[in-house]
Amino acid sequence: MGVETHAQGHLDGFMRGQRKGSLAIIGSQETYDTYYVNRTETQNPNIGTVTTQALTLVGTYGLGYDLDLILSAPYIRTEASAGYSPKQESLQDASATLRWEAFDYKFGTSRLSWQFAVGYSVPMQNYVNDALVVIGRGSKNLDGRTLLHFKSRSFFLTGQYGYIRRGQVSLDHIVNTYDPGQLNPNSGSKVNVPDVTELIIRGGYVNKWLNIDVWGQRQSPHSTGTNIGPGIPFPTNAVGFTRVGATAYIRLLKQFGLTAGYGTTLDGRNTGKSTQINGGLVIGHWTANN
Amino acid sequence: MQNHLRRVLTRCYPNMIINYMKTFYSTIILAALCLWLSACKEPNIDEGILPFAVPTTVDADGGNWRTVVLKSTADITVPQPAATTSDTYQKELSDLKNGLLATTPEQNTAVNYWAVGGVLRWNQIARQLVAKYNNLPGYDPATGQVISADIANPNAGAPYAARIYALLSVAQYDALVVAWRAKYQYNRSSLEGQGVLSRVPVLNVPSYPSEDAAIAEASCQVLAFLFPNETAWLKAKAAEHKQSRIWAGANVNSDLKAGEDLAAGVAAKVIDRAKTDKFNGTNDPANVWTGLLANARYDQKWQSLGIPARSPVLPLAGLVKTWFDSTAIFRSSPAAPPATTSSEFQKALSEVRDIASARTRDQWRIANYWDNGANTYSLSGQWNFLAEDLIRQAGQNELRTARSYALLNRAMQDATTASWRIMYTYFVPRPSQIDPAIKTAVTIPNMPGYVSPHATVSTAAGAALAYLFPANANTLNAQAAESGLSGLYGGTHYRFDIDEGAKMGNLIGQLAVTEAKADGAK
Repeated sequence: MGVETHAQGHLDGFMRGQRKGSLAIIGSQETYDTYYVNRTETQNPNIGTVTTQALTLVGTYGLGYDLDLILSAPYIRTEASAGYSPKQESLQDASATLRWEAFDYKFGTSRLSWQFAVGYSVPMQNYVNDALVVIGRGSKNLDGRTLLHFKSRSFFLTGQYGYIRRGQVSLDHIVNTYDPGQLNPNSGSKVNVPDVTELIIRGGYVNKWLNIDVWGQRQSPHSTGTNIGPGIPFPTNAVGFTRVGATAYIRLLKQFGLTAGYGTTLDGRNTGKSTQINGGLVIGHWTANN
Repeated sequence: MQNHLRRVLTRCYPNMIINYMKTFYSTIILAALCLWLSACKEPNIDEGILPFAVPTTVDADGGNWRTVVLKSTADITVPQPAATTSDTYQKELSDLKNGLLATTPEQNTAVNYWAVGGVLRWNQIARQLVAKYNNLPGYDPATGQVISADIANPNAGAPYAARIYALLSVAQYDALVVAWRAKYQYNRSSLEGQGVLSRVPVLNVPSYPSEDAAIAEASCQVLAFLFPNETAWLKAKAAEHKQSRIWAGANVNSDLKAGEDLAAGVAAKVIDRAKTDKFNGTNDPANVWTGLLANARYDQKWQSLGIPARSPVLPLAGLVKTWFDSTAIFRSSPAAPPATTSSEFQKALSEVRDIASARTRDQWRIANYWDNGANTYSLSGQWNFLAEDLIRQAGQNELRTARSYALLNRAMQDATTASWRIMYTYFVPRPSQIDPAIKTAVTIPNMPGYVSPHATVSTAAGAALAYLFPANANTLNAQAAESGLSGLYGGTHYRFDIDEGAKMGNLIGQLAVTEAKADGAK
């Protein structure tokens, strides 16, 4: 049961502008002492509280006035406070996303933009993916989404809907659990990670120096998937969650700003009921510059 | 198309600025569309497709091979079949031929499924059921939940699984020896010899009694005894297995009936043995183990490391009746390991600690590969899985397959029993109990660690299989050694657990080899 790919949720509705770039380094800490087995909240004294820290490098660059490239690479460390599960730390998944602003409508002072994004992420290291305390799921993911971004004066509202196709992963062992639908158990060690759909709504205030927003994110498993259970490989679990949070960005100098965020889990499935805080430095053009 | 769209939009909404689209961008939209289209439901586990393996021998002397539970094949009588020239037989044959012309796709699926090998298929079924029921009661460390009584199994543990595989394989083997004896005694011609074109490759042995019916009935009865909740499902499987041979054009009804009857007799005897093998009660409801713990001859006492602490797994499983000579197995039982105060022990402990603090990804992989904890095939099932490939590559027929499995599984059950007996003699603590800073790659099994059951069982399994498949001996020995070391890599065993376990395992493996050399099979 790992943390989700850290690139997710970084996508906002603000285009960066042609040949304008930014580089951000964001540190985050996420903790949970309760997790969901299917949808049932569970606490486990053999694990205690799981704390995950991540350092993520995010780069954005405007390839065109309507085309952005967004890259990210996190380093993650996760640890349980009780029991005998070892600490895990490694580079997680590198991701690259192309975001294209397909249409841009102006109504007086308001603007509506319709964007499409395609992203791909791939594990940078062969980290452990089949344990209760892990840093990720180890799959290669293809992410397609569309965004509607509305801005009127200083207020904005962005909605995005996406589908994340997760590839197969190899377990360290032969698949050897009971599956009544499995006619032929000679399946080797490859399993499919369930695909998910994702809806994110973000709204807030933005001016030249400041950006504050609140967001809600809902990820739901698309494929059937399994639930956390003895013997069940963790990567095949159907993971979903509803999270809400807030982000703030403040521009201190022309090309330099700070960002901070908070997020918490309202509801989930086979994932931790986690709370996250993050903060980072941003060099270059971020949301408020546009 | 794009220009047209632009014209329409510009005409309708002149205030709107339409961004110019470069052809390049359409690829992004196309990729996004493809992604949505490909977003179909997918299974969690990919199923491989097994090709048919063509048996390399018929083993006409198989009826003389030494049986395991039956004192002799004469314990079971197989009645004389009707002559192939008789009306009853000719009626059966013409019914079968007519049926072949009208098989349904479902029937063909069943034919292909069972044609992979009856013994192999029932072994797979047993593995699936072990994975379903090998679920320890009480607190489950993988989920943090208390397992509800309806799925928890008070007898779960490696000895439970090893016994299931052994009883199943022995029943299959004894039934097939009886079937082979009757086949060559009565020599009823195979259907191929009578002009029937079967749908799948059929072993060229006399068709009466049907080996498939014998396997199906023996397996079904033994598994239904071991998994009473699955009886209806098992019976349906067995019925399908038997019928598949008619749909395949391999056996007529009277072949099936005779196979079924002889196997029922064999299964009854195997179940009798199972009822008296002292497995019942090994979960120790009266907590005899606390007395054993108090008397254990070791300077530190084992404790359960789970929260909350639980009684250890099947404390009395070391008393289960063995298949091979128990005097020989326990003659050279290992002595107590070095005391925790000794420098030898400290050296062994620091080896575990050093590995745990700098565990490589490959060591983790090995620990995880051989873990086989709750709700899996168990370690003995893992070896059954590995043996399946060897059996198929060697092209073993049903009888030989059953012999291989019976030998392997008897050795593994005895090795499990032996390691359990030593564990509950000394109650040696796990490394993490002595040094809680030692983190483990797998859940720490809730029982003492000396000797390592993985080393004992895998060494015995490796030795038995290396005898049966000499060309693969090097790989098998390497796998057995790796299985033992997995405990050290995972942080749950000291090296002395593994070394002493391997010695016991080797001894038991040699007993199995001695048995195999004398059982009549060449």
